[in-house]
Amino acid sequence: MIQFHAYKMLQTADGELPLDVSLTFEKGQFIAIYGNSGVGKTTILRILAGLTEAEKVDINVGDDIWDDSLKRFHLPVQKRSIGFVFQDFALFPNLTVKENLEFALSKNDSTQIVSELIELMELESLQNSKPQNLSGGQKQRVALARAIVRKPEILLLDEPLSALDDEMRFKLQDYILKTHEKYQLTTLMISHSIAEIFKLSDKVIVIDKGKISKQGTPNEVFAETKISSKFQVTGEIISITKSDIIYVVQVCSGNNIIKVVATEEEIIDYKIGQKVLVASKAFNPVIQILL
Amino acid sequence: MINMEPLWLTAKLALITTIILFVVAVPLCYWLAYSRFRFKAVIEALISLPLVLPPSVLGFYLLIAFSPENAFGKFLSDYFDLRLVFTFQGLIVASVLYSLPFMINPILSGLKNLPPALQEASFTLGKSRFTTVTKILLPNIQASLLTGIIMTFAHTIGEFGVVLMVGGSIPEETKVVSIAIYEEVESMNYHNANVYAGILFAFSFLILLTVHLINNKSRKTTLY
Amino acid sequence: MNILTGTISKIQSHEGISLIKVRSSNVIFSSIVLDTPETAHYLQVEREVRIIFKETEVIISKDLKANISIQNQLSCRIESIKKGVILSQINLMHEDQIIKSIITSNACEQLDLKENDSVMALIKTNEVSLSAHD
Repeated sequence: MIQFHAYKMLQTADGELPLDVSLTFEKGQFIAIYGNSGVGKTTILRILAGLTEAEKVDINVGDDIWDDSLKRFHLPVQKRSIGFVFQDFALFPNLTVKENLEFALSKNDSTQIVSELIELMELESLQNSKPQNLSGGQKQRVALARAIVRKPEILLLDEPLSALDDEMRFKLQDYILKTHEKYQLTTLMISHSIAEIFKLSDKVIVIDKGKISKQGTPNEVFAETKISSKFQVTGEIISITKSDIIYVVQVCSGNNIIKVVATEEEIIDYKIGQKVLVASKAFNPVIQILL
Repeated sequence: MINMEPLWLTAKLALITTIILFVVAVPLCYWLAYSRFRFKAVIEALISLPLVLPPSVLGFYLLIAFSPENAFGKFLSDYFDLRLVFTFQGLIVASVLYSLPFMINPILSGLKNLPPALQEASFTLGKSRFTTVTKILLPNIQASLLTGIIMTFAHTIGEFGVVLMVGGSIPEETKVVSIAIYEEVESMNYHNANVYAGILFAFSFLILLTVHLINNKSRKTTLY
Repeated sequence: MNILTGTISKIQSHEGISLIKVRSSNVIFSSIVLDTPETAHYLQVEREVRIIFKETEVIISKDLKANISIQNQLSCRIESIKKGVILSQINLMHEDQIIKSIITSNACEQLDLKENDSVMALIKTNEVSLSAHD
């Protein structure tokens, strides 16, 4: 079991914000951290990794103590069994892909894990390239592989997929899931994508203004929405056009634009740019297979 | 024929100064780049002081400090049998102080321009500070290191004021090229002065050319 | 959107799908949802919920005793008609609730709908959404 408690005053653009978070999770769980930007999500990961100090920190990982603010004990980053994937990858530009992975080895480690990870992440053809010649998705795979070389107990992923296009995201989600299971990691991942959280995590923690506002399974946290309709999209109104006696409202959600019919009485309340939930019964939509 | 001794002395002084400064600058820059020490700005300002201070001012203070008549100079001569006034050792100490910003500034800005996550990533991979600096940070600021080394070397060669104040002009001890030129001109030996000056001119130009070539090349290949 | 409030009177669930009966004034609405009381906390008998259905899903019949599969049948009086070229909006009065229906203007003419006519408003079970009343 991993117990985490931290208190830290954050300096944000809107002034001071106290981060006060207590978390308990089991080994082997996949935890997603969800919330708006600037509410302290990254700081939580960094405190857990020992990269950021806090006024009060208590971290127990199994029987090991990583932080004990009462005894003023702080286990250095290097001694913590963690793998950290940074938002901007932080690959070493002077080393090739393979050397980046080998750098993570300790003195007497066998290099077998490196070849294993290169194979698992399908990096064979890239192993002698320098990071600057890799695409975003490739860098991400290298960063993930490098974080796992030491077979850490806890893998920390700081919004690892936010910069990638959808196709790459889906592939990398599979890589993350594969490594999480294969190396029996406890994984904490910051994510903004609800779909991603549903796909990957056992538990989701919603952070709002430095506090946990909600936690539970993705189903408990996200699925229990306000309306029973199962076909739901959130998006922004981009246009409202009159057509005959009704109005067509265009809503942009991610890369998709959908159209919804509304009555004259309803559109009075709608504004361009407004965030809306579009819902329909699951019984209506039809599915067509794309080539 | 000109006397070659000042040329060798100059080269020796520049080389030793550069080596000492490199060894000192790397840890100092690392500390300045990554620590959250409150009075860091004071230290950075002190290091940059030789850039704006007239060399004679620095030379004057060093002369006073090194003099066996005063506490520091007396301490050195009593306990270490070290005399720094009008000696080659004294020149080295003066040059190290005088050229400090030329080594520190490029290395420091190189380190500051590296993404902080590089060092953190190395730490999370279990690597010590020393390994992180030698295997990750320094190899990624090669251009800055080279610039620092070359600029320090070149700047030490061009010293005049500090050297004159602290070293005087003792042949084979403190008489470097810039002093030799001055003396040749004083005694109207324009030919000799011309040869010394020509050598320094060509050398300095080559060095600056090298620095600019390095910088242009490293700008083409972005680090990250 | 037509929104009515009601109270859940009966829940029948099977393999993740539930048929919910909601009483709104003197009518019992049927709604079918892909939820069960385990997955949605508000699905409890006696809970107040909102009954939501789109205007375009409201069918109008002049036959007041139609023998058809549609479960939700409300007897209404036509309050007003707004005619368009293609579509028409019929504002209906059911007891003291306004229910709107959007049908094609052709259908409107075919049925010869006029203000104060008595009609049935029909809504298919799978077109009725429920939402927790808060």
